[in-house]
This record gives sequence, structure tokens and C-alpha cells, in this order.
Amino acid sequence: MWAKAEQRYQIIELEVTRPLPLFTVPPATTGLAFVVRLKDRPVGFFMLALPEGAQLDPEELATKVLKHAGKQILSEQIYEELKESRDYPSLPPLDIAICTHGRPDALARCLRRLQELGVAASPRTRVLVIDNAPPDNRTALLMQAFPDVEYVIEPRPGLDFARNRAIEVATGELLAFLDDDVVIDRSWLDGLREAWASSPDAGAFAGPILPMELETRAQVVFEQMGGFGKGFERVRFADVLPESPTYPVGAGVFGAGANMVFRRDVLRRLGGFDNALDTGAPLPGGGDLDMFYRVVQAGYPLVREPSLLVYHQHRREYAKLRHQMWTWGLGTMAYITKSWRSDPLDRPKIRRWLLWWLSYQLSKVLVPFLRSNRARWPFDLVMAEIFGGIVGLCGEYDRSLVRVERIQKEQCA
Amino acid sequence: MRMTMKERWEIVPIDLAEPLLELSGEDNCSGVRAVFFWRGIPLGHCQFAMAQLPLSPQQVATVAARVTAQAIGDYVLAAGFQSALPGLPEPSPINPEQALAHLAEVERPVSRLAQAAPASPRTSSVTVSVAVCTHERPGELVRCLKSLTRLSERPKEILVIDNAPVSDVTREIVARFPGVQYHCEPRAGLSAARNAALAIASGDIVAFTDDDVFVHPDWVTRIQGCFDNEKVMVATGLVLPAELESRAQLMFEQDFQFFHQGYRRRYLDSAYFEAMRSKGVPVWSLGAGANMAIRRAAYERGFAFDTRLGPGVFGGCGEDSEFWYRILAAGWSCVYEPSACVFHYHRRELSALRHQVYEYMKGHVAALILQFAKTGHTGNLRRLVLALPKEYLLLFLRLIVTGFPAENRILLRGALGCFSGLRFAFRCRQEQVATQ
Repeated sequence: MWAKAEQRYQIIELEVTRPLPLFTVPPATTGLAFVVRLKDRPVGFFMLALPEGAQLDPEELATKVLKHAGKQILSEQIYEELKESRDYPSLPPLDIAICTHGRPDALARCLRRLQELGVAASPRTRVLVIDNAPPDNRTALLMQAFPDVEYVIEPRPGLDFARNRAIEVATGELLAFLDDDVVIDRSWLDGLREAWASSPDAGAFAGPILPMELETRAQVVFEQMGGFGKGFERVRFADVLPESPTYPVGAGVFGAGANMVFRRDVLRRLGGFDNALDTGAPLPGGGDLDMFYRVVQAGYPLVREPSLLVYHQHRREYAKLRHQMWTWGLGTMAYITKSWRSDPLDRPKIRRWLLWWLSYQLSKVLVPFLRSNRARWPFDLVMAEIFGGIVGLCGEYDRSLVRVERIQKEQCA
Repeated sequence: MRMTMKERWEIVPIDLAEPLLELSGEDNCSGVRAVFFWRGIPLGHCQFAMAQLPLSPQQVATVAARVTAQAIGDYVLAAGFQSALPGLPEPSPINPEQALAHLAEVERPVSRLAQAAPASPRTSSVTVSVAVCTHERPGELVRCLKSLTRLSERPKEILVIDNAPVSDVTREIVARFPGVQYHCEPRAGLSAARNAALAIASGDIVAFTDDDVFVHPDWVTRIQGCFDNEKVMVATGLVLPAELESRAQLMFEQDFQFFHQGYRRRYLDSAYFEAMRSKGVPVWSLGAGANMAIRRAAYERGFAFDTRLGPGVFGGCGEDSEFWYRILAAGWSCVYEPSACVFHYHRRELSALRHQVYEYMKGHVAALILQFAKTGHTGNLRRLVLALPKEYLLLFLRLIVTGFPAENRILLRGALGCFSGLRFAFRCRQEQVATQ
């Protein structure tokens, strides 16, 4: 029923200070996606659906760049002019933790990228691989090729067990978390330095997550629906935002777990990640949002920095994408359930956010029928997220608590 | 946390031509509204709750870069950052390749404002009369007149039109300000007062402001510059809040945005008017009567404010936009020039705000009826029977989702105002019958 034509987009980096070339859409390609950079700093991303063999002339491309990234390009230049100094104090010691589970190929790609960019070898930076409940020894074998990288096994299955292990093992002042299926952009470390210099009081830093490839319909559709956060604006979030009545409930504005950096002492003070969220297959997700929310609630600023950029390999299969949307609904609502219990004061906000969430999901289904110019969201994906959300609200957090309890016991035994 | 009714936001002007300082707020306020200027030219604003403060200079720079980009782009770059005209999509540049090349190359855009928007506007040959229409508000009038004495360039004359006075207080105040002329207009209504100013003024243009406003020192020089273009008959400017001391003022400024029309210039001409005519021309988005200038030649050609509309007669507004409508319909142009800015004291009490919303919508509907009656343009009816009900329906649906918060219930008062505005048609009909 949902079998649709395959889609494939070519991803192109575009430096706006150079003259725009003429692009021709290669064979078996249904569109082009552009990562816009200004003097090598990422400023925007957009996708254009184009027929195979079509030519995209510089004039049309310039119009699109202006539309999607024009404001950010100028903002960057104004910021460069207004900020007082260009030389930053060097970053404090940094640990980069990569939590992985049975994906040695993806992990190798992520580590190689860190090596290429010289991040792994720098004396003040350390890379940790947390192998979460390894199903085989392939990851362990891979690690022999990366002697600089510290390898830790966390036997209890669950991403947040692994993340909490990273907090224990890490020694630096800053602790970055990357998923194994991402690679960092060449500007990533500079971005972190920039964000750290402008907000040394921040508890967390997050950045945009762009697609590593757009090779299948599932990947294209996911990105067209917004993908992970793609905001290229520099924002410093605090525990209030005057213009949003439900902030910071929802926490989706901050970023996602594939690319986040925390001050380690803040994580420790807040008691680490919630083991009952992000428990692998039964409840994958919610732990990152919960952490962002708690950091901000505790009064630490959270900074979004456009150069803190990573590329994520989205799910290639449509069925897996649908499952992912389901888990998004599930994880978000498990985290909301938890916030509802832990923050009685915020309940009116949470109630309002839930109403917003529901009307937002429904509008995804209904609005394209009312306004023809809006992109149509695949009905099954929206429904998957809604049903995931409903299941998440109906006691998923409690079920997860029970499961986690059992895992803890098994490990002790 | 929902704030209590007592809310106070400190307004902090920040000049980007000076080195940035740390931004912090006073202890007893809910937060700070930072308004970014470049040597008196407003470029953008951002509001911070106390918990977000203090901000280091670099953090202020981050925010400034985000909120001023569009205005700076509009001033500094030839294309790519022009404001969309009300009701139309953003214009795309004619030569996008060149526009992008210029944008990518623009180094130090803030300093470039010096050439793009001169700090001391060249002296224009048109002469200006400033007119303040007032009705028994002595305290406000003193504040307004004081700001007029601090103008960077003295206008040809300053007129105070005392509208239907019941006491001598206005006359006495004006006597304290040498060089300010007093004129009494016994016919009640802001429209009558403004017509009187247009009749007696001697300048080429008449710049109007209200008594509950104080003006920026460069106000007159900046608004004067708009009239170098012969086609321009009306210019309006930006109205910024003078204070945000209560929930009502914050709602007026932030939630309703009755006055704020942005930091980018807009030029409305007959081509725009024709493009929008069938849908209803959103003339009310041009600005506010509290900050507008009119070429006196328009009055000499027979354009005057309709004395059946406006505060003191029917509704709380509409007489200004109805005037602009006729100007545009006759083929002349109107300009919105944000660098000519004034600061308005919004109503402090919620009850006053509620009444104001009611009166505004009442005046708006009456103006639509009058615009249709005078020109036969059905776009006005379309707005009346399709667009307005749709707006209120959507508002109502949104209120259901958000649980009818107090600030939005006030907007529903506007719907009652709309119905009340419909009475205007019957009233005109009766008058017509009576005169016949």
C-alpha cells in the first residue's frame, strides 16, 4: 500500500563566497540537497526535488540560497563584526563518548572521521567507546585498530546505562555524546570552542544534525519532514523563554542525542541519565530530551551552535523509519510522563504542551487537505508517531522502570 | 510560570555603533526588552526574562545579530532583504546571483549603515509643520511637547489642536511652551482636529503625532526625507512602546501588535493597490495615526479625514487607514519609514485595553464599510464577510486548545466590536435620509 517510487538525493556542499556553478541532476537521482556554508561555517540546508538530468542554473540556485540561508548568512557577518574578540581561550579537557551496540562498521566510520580531523589525537581530547551489551566481539576487535581510543564495555543493555558509564569513566570538564551512526563535520570542534567561549556558564551544547546520505525514500521522506533539528541560528536557552508558553516542556527545540555536549559536573549533579529511558529495543528514546529538560530546569543555559554539526545516517528502510516515528512518540511521552511526576509545578504547561502536540500531529494529517501548497506528510508515519505517543502515555514509563529493575537485578546476580 | 498581573519590563536601548556592554535588569522587573539601534535608527528588539540575564557582551552580540539581520540587510544591501508588502509574499530579487554575491561579500555590515542610512539626514527642501491633536490630557501633552522641543532640527511650526475642550488646561500648557501655537477645534473628533491642522498649517507636510507619545529627536528629519519623492502623499513611522509596566501594555505590544509594523521600509503604490484590490487592501498595516505625515497638497486636492469616523465620533481608529485607502486608490503612494520613530504609552489597565480592542475593531469595520461605499471596491466586503470571520473562527479554535487564557479572551472582545461597527452603515443611512 505504501510502496512508492524510490527517491535519491545528491548532497552538495555549497560555499557562497565562490561563484555558484551549474548543477546537473545525475542519473537515478530525484533531487539535490545543499549544505550551505559561508567561509566554511555551516549556515543552512535545503532540498530541491528535481527531475533526473535537469539543470539547476546559478540564478535559480541563488534564489533558493537567499530564501533558505540569506538571513543566517548576514547574521553570521553581523555577529563577526559585533563580537569583541576572535581569539578564544582553548577548550577545557574534553571527552567524546560514542555509545555503540553491534554496529562496528558505523563505529569505524565515526572514529576514522575523528582521527582525520585530529580530534582523537589532541592531548586535551579523549575518545571513549562504550560498547553496550555487545552481542559479539566484533567491536572489541575493531578497537585494536584505534589504540588512542579508550574502550569500555557496559554489560547492562540500554543506551542510558552506557551514557552513565561514560560519565563515570570520563575525566574531562566537557563530555560530548555522539551516536555511532554519525560523523562530525570539520567545523565541529571550532563550533564547540565558539559556543564554550560565548557561554562558559552553559550546562549543555547542541547543534544541527544533517543527513549523511539521502539514498532511499525513507531517508528522503524523513528529512523532508524536518529530520532532526536543523536550526542554524545561535540560540542561548535559559529556563524561561518569554515568547513560548509551554517552554521548556517538549525539549525538542534543543537538539537530539546524536550530537550533544554537557558539562560533566552538571551531569553528575543531576544524577546522570535516566536509565528507564532509552532502554534499547523496548523504549528507544527520550533520555536525551529528559536530560536537556533537566539541565535547563536546573537553571543552566543550553546553547545551540550551528557549527557544532554532525551528519547522521538515517534509517534506509521505510519500515524502520515507521518504527522510528513510533518510538519517537513513545520516547517523548515516556519522558513527558516522567516530567509530569517530577515537576508538579509544571503540570499546566505539560497539559498545554500535550494539547499542542496532539493538534500539531493532527494538523500534519489535515492541513495538506485544506491548503494545497503544504507538503503532504505520509499518513502512516504520522499515525505511527501518534500511536507511539498514546502507548507512551499509557504507562510506558512504568513498564520501563520494571524492565530496568529486572536488568539491574540480573546484573547483580 | 504564568506571571501575575503585575508585570514590568525594563526597556533598554542598545546602540550598535558603540561597544556592547553587559546586559542586566533591575531587580524588581520581570525582564528586559532590549531595543537595538544604530545611531538612532531602530533595527530590532528581543525580550529576556530575568532568568536569562545577565548576558555578556558576546551573548548580546549573538542576539543582536539574529534580530537585526533583516533590517540591516534592507538598509545595506540592494536586494534580498526587502520587506514583504502586507498580504503579499516576500519579493525575490531580480538578479539573485548578484544579490547573493553581494551578501556573501559584505564585510562589517553594521558599519556600512553609515553610508546606507545617513546619521544626519540631508536637509530636505520640504518644510514641516508638526501637529499634536489632544483632548484634555495635560500630563501627556506636557511630555509630548517636551520631546518636541528636543528635535534635532526645528520644524517650521508646532501646532497643538485642542479638540472640543471642556477646560482651559490645554491652552495654559501650550502658553508655557514658546513657539508652540494653540488652536481650538470645537467640533468633536480626531478627524475634525486633524483636518483643522491641515487647513491652518503652513508647511509643505504636516507631521501628526498624538499626545500620549514622545518622539525621537530625529523624527521630523527622517519623515521629511520620505517626501522627496513627488508621488508620496503619506508617510508613517514606527511606533515603539514607551514603557512596558503592566500586563496590558505587554499584551498590546507583544500579543496584539496593533502598532508595530517592523523595522524595514515599505513602499505602497498604486500597483500594489491594484494587486490587492480584489482581496481587500490591508491599509491598516501601514502604521498608526500616532506617527504619520501628510503632504498638505493632498488636503488642497480635496483629501481630508472623514469626520464620521475616528476617536470621539465612531470607533477607536479607522479614520487614518480610510484616508490612506483613498490616497492609494487615487494613484498616490504611501511610505512606511521605521527610522522615523515615536514612543507610545499604551493603556496600562486591562479594562482600558479591553475597551480599546473593542473600539479598534468597531472603527475598523466602519472604515471597511466606508471604503466600500466611497469606491465600490468589493475587496473591502470580502474582508468584512470572509476574512474577518475566518480570523475570529481560527482564534476561537486556538483558544479552545490553549484553554482561554485571559490575554486572548480580550481579542474576542474585538468580535463584539466588529458587530458594533456594523451599526455604522445604518447610522450613515439615517443621516442620509435626514439630510434629504
